[in-house]
Amino acid sequence: MNNLYAAVIHDVKNQLAELSLRLGERTDAQTEMSIAMNASNRLSEMLLMHRHQSRQLSINPVAVNAPDFLSILAAEYRELFPNIIIVLQQNNPPAFSFFDDALVRMALGNALHNACRVAKHKVMLFAETVDGMLALGVKDDGSGYPDEILATGGASPSNISNRGTGLGLYLARQIAELHQLEKRQGRIELSNENGAVFRMLLP
Amino acid sequence: MLLDVSEKWVLVIDDLEGMRSQLRMSLSSAGFAKLHVVSCIKDALERMESSRYDVILCDYSLGDSTDGQQFLEYLRTNDLISRNTIFVIITAEQAYEKVVSASECAPDDYLLKPFTSAQFTARLEKLLEKQAYFLAIDKATDSKNWGKVIAECNKKLPLKDKYFIELCKIKASALMRDGRPQEAADAYQQVLNLRPVAWAKLGLARALSVLNKKDEAQKVVREILAESPQFMAAYDVLSDLLAATGDKKSALGVLQKAREVSPGTMSRIRELSSLAVSAGQPELAETVMREALLKHKYSPVREANDYAVLSKALINQGKATEALAMVNDAQKTFKDDHSAIIFAATESVAHCAVGNHSEADAALKRAMDHGDMSKLPAQTVVSLADACFALGKEEDAHNLLRHAIQNNHEDDALKRKVHDVLTAAGKDPAEATALIEATTREVIQLNNDGVKKAQSGQLSEAIELLCEAANRLPNNLQIVANAALVMALHLVRNGNNSQELAQCLHYRSALVNKSPNNPKLAQIDTLLKQLSDKSAS
Repeated sequence: MNNLYAAVIHDVKNQLAELSLRLGERTDAQTEMSIAMNASNRLSEMLLMHRHQSRQLSINPVAVNAPDFLSILAAEYRELFPNIIIVLQQNNPPAFSFFDDALVRMALGNALHNACRVAKHKVMLFAETVDGMLALGVKDDGSGYPDEILATGGASPSNISNRGTGLGLYLARQIAELHQLEKRQGRIELSNENGAVFRMLLP
Repeated sequence: MLLDVSEKWVLVIDDLEGMRSQLRMSLSSAGFAKLHVVSCIKDALERMESSRYDVILCDYSLGDSTDGQQFLEYLRTNDLISRNTIFVIITAEQAYEKVVSASECAPDDYLLKPFTSAQFTARLEKLLEKQAYFLAIDKATDSKNWGKVIAECNKKLPLKDKYFIELCKIKASALMRDGRPQEAADAYQQVLNLRPVAWAKLGLARALSVLNKKDEAQKVVREILAESPQFMAAYDVLSDLLAATGDKKSALGVLQKAREVSPGTMSRIRELSSLAVSAGQPELAETVMREALLKHKYSPVREANDYAVLSKALINQGKATEALAMVNDAQKTFKDDHSAIIFAATESVAHCAVGNHSEADAALKRAMDHGDMSKLPAQTVVSLADACFALGKEEDAHNLLRHAIQNNHEDDALKRKVHDVLTAAGKDPAEATALIEATTREVIQLNNDGVKKAQSGQLSEAIELLCEAANRLPNNLQIVANAALVMALHLVRNGNNSQELAQCLHYRSALVNKSPNNPKLAQIDTLLKQLSDKSAS
């Protein structure tokens, strides 16, 4: 992608965001608001991808309280998906963890978005400690990840499925891997447990 | 929103009408009732004069002028908002990376566009929760009572709650401000043991520098820049470390590198252009300062000194007429006395360079006529000295410089500026250094003499010596503290005397204002208590 394309995408993304916000001001257009916001978020991902490919993506870890972080994310998506029940589950996560909150919010937001789209009724957001790493996750009650996605786990951006373009998973993996501490590196884990489970582990 | 926010005052600053109305709606639906919405910084400052805000939401990009980050830096350096005021910068994602690490002066949160009303409300709720948690600490910070800040942090640190890291950061910075660099270094190291975050490394480097471990400090800063070249504050510290060794060229190089990464804050522009002038690169100083002043044309972040530097840069290139015209033009946009002094001094130098000696004389007279030198910032006194040198008034210049140094005898950056002025006036660098050192020794000797006299029981002589010095050098807190102390001692020994008591209390309150944790305060207060017990009995 060259910079001209990036600039155009950026412009369209902002117009979609504005459209979404205007729709949000009306009481009769919540679904349309959600569609426009989703489209805008997709383009944000593409731009992020562009930055990643041109090696402009760097992380800025700050101390974050995982429960607060998840509850803000939940509030946002409850507004976008009023028919889905989003619950939070905290399994004793640490009081503070270090990660790039903006990038992880984008990655987790994408996973949450996809989960809300395929869920029957309910999506769970959770935080726990796994192998001494913070794990942030999304679990839905839909039909689960298709086998090919479970097999590749976001290794490339080309897995197109009913869950999206595959770009989101790919970026989530890149964002997780950019988080490093000493010899440990972040990663994502996908599994099916009565629905799809997305986990991002951060050192 | 769970919290009652109807009494919270909110200020929104955004140049785009669409954004203003979105924020207004989100805020109203979240329960905020006291809301001001403005489109530019000038209006924001006007509002701030009459209202105290709990929350300020400011867009990062505000047209072509001063941006939200620069505005926040201006507010914080001039103590225009409480530390407890929530300041949120709203930014589009492509600017985020640039914004987020651009300055150490970080807002309480960044809000990335686009955001939904629910997301906005949820985040604001967390910020208000944090605001309540930090209230006592922030109040102590506002009154620069570092001892209290540290004590309040110590109360909460054992909880190891979600604000633990923030508490560590505030405590370490308070330790530095309180003149306890070794403890500050330990506090930063403690954070680094948890995670190698850039701000803690930079804090450590600053502490090491004060502890005179300059090489170690430099090593740490270079490490930060290798890992996070976006961490702009590290350039400032590295440049300062290099300038302190006398290596102006390298110091300048570091700031130019910083300028390639980010356009930068006004304080960096100031540092860069003064360094460029003193390193013999006036063209660079001119380019950088002109660009910044053009950008901030109608903004309050400009200072009279910025034009003084630009004028110097022009004069050094032989463009004195241009400098004069620029100064005359610029001073119309400043109304305060202090700026008037700086402009008059700058104008005098420019007139001199053009060859108008009588006008130069008149301008210098205007600058000097503003009265009490002891109340002026040291930098201004140095500018006046510069103007005196230009007119050949060597003795006046030396007196001014002597005063500036003795009033701030521990300020190394100021001494470097004095050195620049002396060498620009034709002094040999070694001679200038010797002069500065002698002047510093003189004031230390004066203080020690006063203390010795007091210890040997010659209280009247001690008072005479120290009070004269304290009146002349009100910024030299060592002397002011000792003056208050000997006066209190004298009062206890010789009984109450309302005039002496008033003078003692005058020194004491100066000390409380500038250094509320000064260890001498306790001694002074013990004596004053004895005095009041005595008069009561």
